[in-house]
Amino acid sequence: RPPRSTPKPSSAASDVYKRQVHGDYLIDMESIDWSQPIRDGTTIMAVVYDGGVMLGADSRTTGGALIYNRVSDKIEPIHKRIFCLRSGASAHTQKIAQLCRLYIGQLGSELEETPPVYSAAKIIQSFIYNYKSFLSAAMICAGWDPIKGPQIYTIPLGGTLVRENIATGGSGSAYMSGFCDTHYKAGMTRKECRDFMIQSISLAMFRDSSSGGIIRLLDITKDGVSREYISHDQLPLKQNNYSQSCLLYTSDAADEGLGVDLGGR
Amino acid sequence: TQSTWDQGFVIKMAGSGYDYDVSTLSPEGKIYQVEYAMKATENSSTILGMVCKDGVLLGTEKLIVSEMMVSGSDRRVYSVTKQIGMVITGLLPDGRCLIDRAKEESASFQKQYGIPITGKVLADRIAQFMHMNTIYLWARPYGCNIIIAAFDEFGGPTLHLIDPSGQCFGYFGCAAGKGRQIARNEIEKLGAKNLTCKEAAFNMAKILHKCHEEMKEKKFELEMSWICPETGMTHQMLPKDMQKEMEIRAQETLEKEAMADVQSQIMKNINICLLYTSDAADDTPCVDLGGRRIIKKKK
Repeated sequence: RPPRSTPKPSSAASDVYKRQVHGDYLIDMESIDWSQPIRDGTTIMAVVYDGGVMLGADSRTTGGALIYNRVSDKIEPIHKRIFCLRSGASAHTQKIAQLCRLYIGQLGSELEETPPVYSAAKIIQSFIYNYKSFLSAAMICAGWDPIKGPQIYTIPLGGTLVRENIATGGSGSAYMSGFCDTHYKAGMTRKECRDFMIQSISLAMFRDSSSGGIIRLLDITKDGVSREYISHDQLPLKQNNYSQSCLLYTSDAADEGLGVDLGGR
Repeated sequence: TQSTWDQGFVIKMAGSGYDYDVSTLSPEGKIYQVEYAMKATENSSTILGMVCKDGVLLGTEKLIVSEMMVSGSDRRVYSVTKQIGMVITGLLPDGRCLIDRAKEESASFQKQYGIPITGKVLADRIAQFMHMNTIYLWARPYGCNIIIAAFDEFGGPTLHLIDPSGQCFGYFGCAAGKGRQIARNEIEKLGAKNLTCKEAAFNMAKILHKCHEEMKEKKFELEMSWICPETGMTHQMLPKDMQKEMEIRAQETLEKEAMADVQSQIMKNINICLLYTSDAADDTPCVDLGGRRIIKKKK
């Protein structure tokens, strides 16, 4: 959505922050819209592989142009073998995940069994559907249960509930959909799945301004859950790939064809 | 001093003073109102349930109150969900109220969690609900025993018996009502865990007829239901013709067993007795075991 412009009254104290010198450039802080809700702009993804399900997410939480948290964790635990990925307004998704955790905890102790992943997805759906005019939340619920094995359920903005073997979400998912469609295959091994997800999420982070930071991965199998993160220097596509190859030319240097060295001098 | 109400009582009740409401404990630590509620079920129709190799069975015997009543209208066995059934005994209106409650619990569980309620969870919730009526002054306990038979993905086939105090246990075979002692003995002897539902259903009909023997002169009918592969693991009443055929067979078998009992009693008292004709009796060495006379040719 385009940022809303709100009237900004200026007082003496805030004048200090109106202009900041950043290198050679002056940034007019007033023109940045600070009133934007904090969002998990996001790239989130979940894939079922042979033996479990793997969840992946970027780690950028934005509020308008400001990155509030560059190492945020968008993978929320719901139960021992059930997790959900959050995208949309952070406050909304955190609250929904918290309530889901509460209800699934109750279900687990009443059943005295591992609760079904479907029930967790149903609870998330009931919130997103019934309060859809107030919420801006799209979530992916994934996990393992003894009856149906590894499962993934997507609950997008309107509140539909769909079971899938590969699910993507967030603003970055549009940039990796072609890659996913081409390279996904059913029944991958854990290593293949991990490599596939790291590649897709870095593609999305490379192009989407609301996604970035590190890649967080979570692996859920019958035997347990393991977490890892891929830090920025290990990403296949580095953020500053192009900037290294883009040099500044002053107009003078451009006239002197061969007389320009790499520094632009 | 006794109040004017007490003048109508002939028998002085066991509780005497501690039994006027359910929120009072007696000095021995009993709640008499709950015990009286249990008495309401002790003299009522027998209900029983069995877990078999491939499913669960429920059954009850009911006295035919009137020849003018439409048969099948006095229902005791109900389906709570597709895969859960309940049978009631005792104060029947109380029981039907509990069945309504069970249907509500199942519906709200399914709405919230998306999966059908399991037998164990439903039994626990109904037991809690019945127990609630044993702690408040303004309510009386439910005067009924109920058996809940269920099949679900988590526990397989399950059976739970709940009594008016709110106690709920899981069973392989259970019974309540008038004929519970006979029924429990028979169920234990049967070992239904090794029988299929079809085989065990015949035995259940037999047990129910046996429980009814003391009141042979009063007409009665059976209500039986099952959850088994033949019904796709859903709760259904036994097909009418199958039930009729089983009842006829059960009655015949019971009669045969009764005859066999009588015969074995008689046989114990009979000794082998040989026939002697009066002649043979005189000729002592000339009688063989058949009682025939041996004629020796005298040379």
